[in-house]
Amino acid sequence: MSGFGDLARAIEAARQAAAATARRPRREVARALARAAARWRRDGELSRRLPQDARLSPAVVSAGVDATAQALDADAMAALVERELGSERPVRPWLVAHVLASNVPALAVPAIALGCLAGAAVLVKSGRADRVSGPAFRRALEAEDGDLAATVVTAYWAGGDVQAERALLAHADVVVVTGRDATVDAIARRLDTRVITHGERTSVAVIGRDAVTEADSIARALAEDVALHDQRGCLSPVAVYVERDADEFAERLAAALDAVAIALPPGPLEPDERAAHRAAVAEAEWTGATVLGGPRGTVLVDASSRPRPSPGRRTLWVKPLSSLADVLPAGRIECVGVAGAVIDPVMLGRLGVSRVCAPGRMQRPPLAWPRGQLAPLRTLLALPAEPRLEVESA
Amino acid sequence: MSLEGQLATAIRAAGAAGDSFPFEAWALHVFAHQLAHNPPYRAFCERRGVTLDTVERWDQVPPVPTAAFRHADLSCGPPEAVFQTSGTTGGAEQRGRHGVPCLDLYRASALVTFERFLLPDAARLPAIFLLPPPSERPDSSLVRMCAWVGEELSSEAEWFGSPAGVDMPRLLARLRELETAGDAVLIAGPTAGFSQLFESGAAFRLGPGSRLMDTGGAKGTARPLSRAGFVRACWTHLGIAGYFCVNEYGMTELCSQRYESVLCDRFAGRSLEARRLVAPPWLRTRVLDPDTLEPVDAGAVGLLCHHDLANAGSVSAVLTEDLGRAVGGDGIEVIGRVRGAPPRGCGLLLADLAP
Repeated sequence: MSGFGDLARAIEAARQAAAATARRPRREVARALARAAARWRRDGELSRRLPQDARLSPAVVSAGVDATAQALDADAMAALVERELGSERPVRPWLVAHVLASNVPALAVPAIALGCLAGAAVLVKSGRADRVSGPAFRRALEAEDGDLAATVVTAYWAGGDVQAERALLAHADVVVVTGRDATVDAIARRLDTRVITHGERTSVAVIGRDAVTEADSIARALAEDVALHDQRGCLSPVAVYVERDADEFAERLAAALDAVAIALPPGPLEPDERAAHRAAVAEAEWTGATVLGGPRGTVLVDASSRPRPSPGRRTLWVKPLSSLADVLPAGRIECVGVAGAVIDPVMLGRLGVSRVCAPGRMQRPPLAWPRGQLAPLRTLLALPAEPRLEVESA
Repeated sequence: MSLEGQLATAIRAAGAAGDSFPFEAWALHVFAHQLAHNPPYRAFCERRGVTLDTVERWDQVPPVPTAAFRHADLSCGPPEAVFQTSGTTGGAEQRGRHGVPCLDLYRASALVTFERFLLPDAARLPAIFLLPPPSERPDSSLVRMCAWVGEELSSEAEWFGSPAGVDMPRLLARLRELETAGDAVLIAGPTAGFSQLFESGAAFRLGPGSRLMDTGGAKGTARPLSRAGFVRACWTHLGIAGYFCVNEYGMTELCSQRYESVLCDRFAGRSLEARRLVAPPWLRTRVLDPDTLEPVDAGAVGLLCHHDLANAGSVSAVLTEDLGRAVGGDGIEVIGRVRGAPPRGCGLLLADLAP
């Protein structure tokens, strides 16, 4: 598609197409999306280009693509529509625009699926490091359900292109922006339309005393949560609060990170990125942390439960468990992985946490995940909804 | 005499080219001194299981990250001066502080090295510093060093730093006088200060033998110049030839500096040698793999880890946030800073002055 004019016309056509598909049975839409997800998962270009573009290893990309596709389960999607919307549909041809971050690949897929389920047209502006997933999913949808694919437009323009934003986003009914705080705030300031922002957030895990007997399997599960997307996502754990024997658990975790990296190797890094990690780890060590592990995963053992900046690159702080309400920063934690501990969902809800699940499930949210405590479908249609915290049973 | 005093004497005796300087022996001696008199460093070494008995070579001495200077007082005794890193973000708590218990050691190292690389012909020139005077920035190690240069290695010293960066009208007037007189001059300051001068558009032909020292790189400059572009601008705007333009690499956390050897090489008949940052014999630098902290292959990019014996009064081994590589047998090239590291450096010294 060349030029903003062509794109603007395509977006308007998608909006009109959505007016018709919005009245289709949602179960039918959900089935089409699920079939498209299965087809998308096998897309050759996706597996060929995405590792290079996203700078992740092919194995990590493959695991991430699998997790994304699995989230588009037809029954779960139909249930989500039923629970959130019932028979409610957009009151007029509705356009949702997504401006996607680059930290995690395949963000376009849930964005498109949710828009289709809501009965809206969807414009997806891909992130710089994944311009493949969105077009690939649209191709898959086209093959499965041309009418539904007609409601979807995928695009890319360089971040900060104000002219593109004005031409293409200003007419959306809702714009959803994910990315760095500064980026999402800047876009929100520039647009007059309704904007939902998802800025920088992170996740933690809590390992209670009852988990002692399963420490190895929990460490392995957490290591997988860390390895997926190379710890770049908001659902990636960066700290583990351990109720008992933190040092011993830290050693198990370091071993697990090393072992998991064999199947899910880290992506390539530039010297300055490796150096930045070293500088952060060296500072942590100077300020009292014990450093375990190496380039395939690092554990920083800290006697204090106070949160510390995450160096990234598969690095986890292990800290003693104290009152989470006192140590977790409000509005910055997306997901809490829990094993062998009883947590207070009301307290976590007050802190802005949106997901509680078992280790190993942190990076595998269902499409119904209320990111930022927002109801995923009602938010897209600007319908009122209470803040939600999803507690996934083990 | 204190260990620092003995070292200052040894440095003055050796001179900056002293090939016979006993680095290894001093390094172990200094490490023992620091373990004994620097409690935070001793605790750091103990946590790593490092003691005097486990260190047999200088490159086994544990380096502290530059961040350590933001977190702790690393002085081995009551400091005679505390220098502070420059920076425009994060506030005072984000700035590194380097307490120096023996200023004479810093002075010895700085002056002997400066003379070798900037004044190999023993010239004594009027000095123009694009910096605030020491009374305004007593916490700047660069300003302190230049003050010593002004006292000991120049015929006179003038300071042109101002809250706006460089006091441009006064500087331009002074350069015009010097151009008219035709005398050689030493002009030194942050690279950003020179950029400001170049952007003014003024052009001079300073007297033959004039020379220039810049430091800090492109940080703080509105329009960063490549090194070649900078050297070209020195000729266009000041009439100073490239071989009289010497870049300095220094850090608040170190009492020794590296300099481009271009002028020194020219006077020694080695004009075809590559530009590189060369150190005095009491400063060694290793280029380390960020993952393993083992030395990288020759010429590969890695983290710079300095071992500066003139830091005897604090910590000698410092792991920086600078990336670089070895050049030739005796030099390094600095490539840049690690991603996300806080902005700092002499280029920001002028920005610090702004109200």
